[in-house]
Amino acid sequence: MTRIAIWFFSGVTVLTVLAMALLLLMQSLPVWQHEGFSFATGAKWFYRQQEFGAASMIYGTLVVSIGALVLATPVGIGAAIFTAEFLPARFRLMVKLTIELLAGVPSVVYGLLGILMLRNWIYELLAPFDPLSGDTLFTAAVLLALMILPTIMTLSDDALRSVPATQRHAARGLGLNGTEVVLHVSLPQASRGLFAAVLLGLGRAMGETIAVFLVIGRQDNQWPQSLFSLQPLIESGQTLTSKLGSSETNIAYGNPLHWGAMVGLGVILLVIVTLITWFGAYLQRSDHAS
Amino acid sequence: MRIHHIIVAGMLMASPLEAGTLKINGSTTVNLPVAEASEILRAEMKMDIQIDTQGGSSGGISMLGEGLVQLGMASKHISDDDRAKFPKCDYKEIHIGEDAVAMIVSADVWDGGVKALSKAELKGIYEGAIKNWKDVGGPDRRIAFFNKEPGRGTWEVFVHWIYGNPKLAPQVSFPEVGGNEETRNKVASTKGALSQLSSSWADGKTVFALGLKSETGEVIQATSETIATHKYPMSRPLFLLSNGAPAGEAKLLVDFVLSGRGQALVKKHGYLTLAELK
Repeated sequence: MTRIAIWFFSGVTVLTVLAMALLLLMQSLPVWQHEGFSFATGAKWFYRQQEFGAASMIYGTLVVSIGALVLATPVGIGAAIFTAEFLPARFRLMVKLTIELLAGVPSVVYGLLGILMLRNWIYELLAPFDPLSGDTLFTAAVLLALMILPTIMTLSDDALRSVPATQRHAARGLGLNGTEVVLHVSLPQASRGLFAAVLLGLGRAMGETIAVFLVIGRQDNQWPQSLFSLQPLIESGQTLTSKLGSSETNIAYGNPLHWGAMVGLGVILLVIVTLITWFGAYLQRSDHAS
Repeated sequence: MRIHHIIVAGMLMASPLEAGTLKINGSTTVNLPVAEASEILRAEMKMDIQIDTQGGSSGGISMLGEGLVQLGMASKHISDDDRAKFPKCDYKEIHIGEDAVAMIVSADVWDGGVKALSKAELKGIYEGAIKNWKDVGGPDRRIAFFNKEPGRGTWEVFVHWIYGNPKLAPQVSFPEVGGNEETRNKVASTKGALSQLSSSWADGKTVFALGLKSETGEVIQATSETIATHKYPMSRPLFLLSNGAPAGEAKLLVDFVLSGRGQALVKKHGYLTLAELK
């Protein structure tokens, strides 16, 4: 009985995912026929000229998400080390609950706060570099960092707490001090969980729409002169999600090619997130084997 | 700040009528008087109304076309393309008032001496030939142009004036803004900013409406008179949209907006009423 239930529910899950992917692929077929692989590599998006290239948006998504991760990971894991390793138990729950509340705030609220406060603050902060406005990839990255910080922090805390106390006691017994216990026992043993926390944060950052939509400027065709240039950080840009959230989806409706291009952006996002998840699973496995 | 102005109907439980929810979506410009009318109807008639501004005018047109809402709101005419996209929808435009699109600038540009722009100057800015305010008599500062999203009624009025037809407008890549609140907020807080905005939203304190220079050099401001006579070139009609003649709850709301009290709301939000247009 249990076995039948397992097969049934697993089957339903797998079929749903496959059907969804198939539906997206079928709907985006016109754009792949029209553009070929240059839909993913082309940097120009001019829908009225029927030119569809998603590369600038892929670039925007990657820069903003990785930027958010760079900002949020050290703070998130640092805070988790503090709550899990140093804070007395009763304070730990209090701090953790407060931070988890932040994870439940709807993203449109973050977006509005972003417009009202963060955007202007960053506009003034970046004044020496003369940005055209406060809508920049950097603004979006900082806002996303704030949004994924609770996720990273609370999951890292769980990972660290799952390291058995006996391990710490043994390490202390061997003469390691508090810092050494964290560095040489807790962190290595929790590394898989910490990595999962960061990956989940990355997943949220990539899929986030409304908050990014409100502060990124939504400027098309912002392909950088050099992939390693920092200049795009202080300019407006576009992510896959901010494009999907724009009114262009209304214009695209009814035009198979344009609609296919919009759905195609969703396919690309799905592929990127899937690859990252697989990569994470692969790293976790090899970590386990050593 | 009301980016998503959703009135959640709390009266649903109290209503003995199982009439269902009246759903409305579309232009943020039309939303102001219609949302206030909805609040009054909710209180007085116990009507259950959800009103939203997803995607602006084109969002209203497509959601009505798909049958997701009973009424759309638009600050532009239904185009033949829209009718072709939704052949099953018998679009009816219900004229409820008139508005103008203003070119708005931030305080530093206004104080720097830019009070009006001509069609040629706006075309140059839109096509990227003019990038600095000093080229149009202003301070030495880059122009931070926020373009209204294509599909927005405001954007269509703008390119219709400059190019004669939205389809003839070149495709440009500027930072884009959506609803009126977002536009006003971003222009107010950015130096050297310029954007298109419903003229009734240009408050003259945080953002400033430019006059438009005609070919003879005359500066035309958006006033009740110039909008009513169409002397101001970027005036536009405001519509409620329905599929066929409105019926039931939708008809109640349409009739209310067209009544004296409804038209007073149109006026209150800075638009011209139907009576003023005659």
